[in-house]
Amino acid sequence: MSDAVKNVKLHLVVLGLVVVSELIGIVAFKVGPGKLVLLPMLYAMFMGIFTGPKFTKIFKEKEMIQASTLVGLTLLLLMARYGTLVGPKFYEILKAGPALVLQEFGNIATLFIGIPIAIYLGLKREAVGAAHSIAREPNVALIGDIYGLDSAEGRGVMGVYICGTVFGTIFFGLLASFLAAFNIFHPYALAMASGVGSASMMTASIGSLSACYPEMAENIQAFGVASNTLSGLDGVYMSLILALPISNKLYAYLYKLKYKTSEVEA
Amino acid sequence: MTANRSLIESCIVLIIVSVITLIGNAVGFNNGIIESLPGMGILLLLCIAGVATNMFVFKKIPSVLFVITYGVIITLPTFPFAPAVNAYVSKVSFLALTTPILAYAGIAIGKDLATFKQSGWRIVVVSIFVMISTYVASAAIAQGVLKYMGDI
Repeated sequence: MSDAVKNVKLHLVVLGLVVVSELIGIVAFKVGPGKLVLLPMLYAMFMGIFTGPKFTKIFKEKEMIQASTLVGLTLLLLMARYGTLVGPKFYEILKAGPALVLQEFGNIATLFIGIPIAIYLGLKREAVGAAHSIAREPNVALIGDIYGLDSAEGRGVMGVYICGTVFGTIFFGLLASFLAAFNIFHPYALAMASGVGSASMMTASIGSLSACYPEMAENIQAFGVASNTLSGLDGVYMSLILALPISNKLYAYLYKLKYKTSEVEA
Repeated sequence: MTANRSLIESCIVLIIVSVITLIGNAVGFNNGIIESLPGMGILLLLCIAGVATNMFVFKKIPSVLFVITYGVIITLPTFPFAPAVNAYVSKVSFLALTTPILAYAGIAIGKDLATFKQSGWRIVVVSIFVMISTYVASAAIAQGVLKYMGDI
């Protein structure tokens, strides 16, 4: 990592990307019932991709590897901010009720569906990173810490993270209004489920729900925010203690089933 | 990964990223660099404390967990300095922190672009199922519990 730390050019280019992205600012479009929101982080990522040898040739292969060793560490600053968002609301969240707490277990459901699909599609260790959770910042940081973001698991979690960043907002906005239209779930249940992802996904989903049920808008927003904050708090613990170990077991089992050999020998 | 990373190196990287964040925070969110400095410093200390705990005390537990937990503790309403900490930290926009991370990530992704092309569509399919299953399962559990408690 010491080479990466000393690479002044790398940090200066990142600074440049950040300044340009922030100058462009947040852009929002109305798409159907939902809202598509473009954030500076998206521009920064796309411009970053274009610095590579395939495009503008600003960075070489070696420097890209250096950059990837730094991502896990940079995430920590965001995680610190995450903690400070949860702290002030901690006691309100405790009061918010068992439904809010129990629905968090819905986050684990993704691995029972995601991992079989990922393995069926031919993904290997990427499956664990990709499908153990909804792959938001805390999960990326966790996978980065355990496997490194250069590993197969790291590629998986980054892939889903990027898809979520690019399509998540619009997808959640549409999903919420779609499910609301079918009347299977109570708006409060949908509001609590809105907190599973990032703040922008939550905002999109809560936004569409509030538009569908204007008379319940205030409660819907309160449940959404509380649930999102709760996910921020327990998401990492839940992934580390439950989701990741179960994912690994399920992966090993399905791998054996599909390739007729255990993972280690392969 | 954590083993070969010395604490000093980690601190230097965190300081560099803090400076970049401060500049982005000033450009995009009109939070002056001087007024955001104390908040950024607090976040930086939380990270260093988290990394150090992972390095010297609980080597098996990822530093992310400590960083988040320390952040929660110092902002709990019952923590003596919580109001001051909140006021300082609120000057550092949440979104301003995400931009530098994705800039580094974007540069790093460049090298995996070929791999992403190869497995890219599969990851997209998996992502869609991940998002749907998480949302629907959470909604179903919430629905069941709310019904059981008689709240709806």
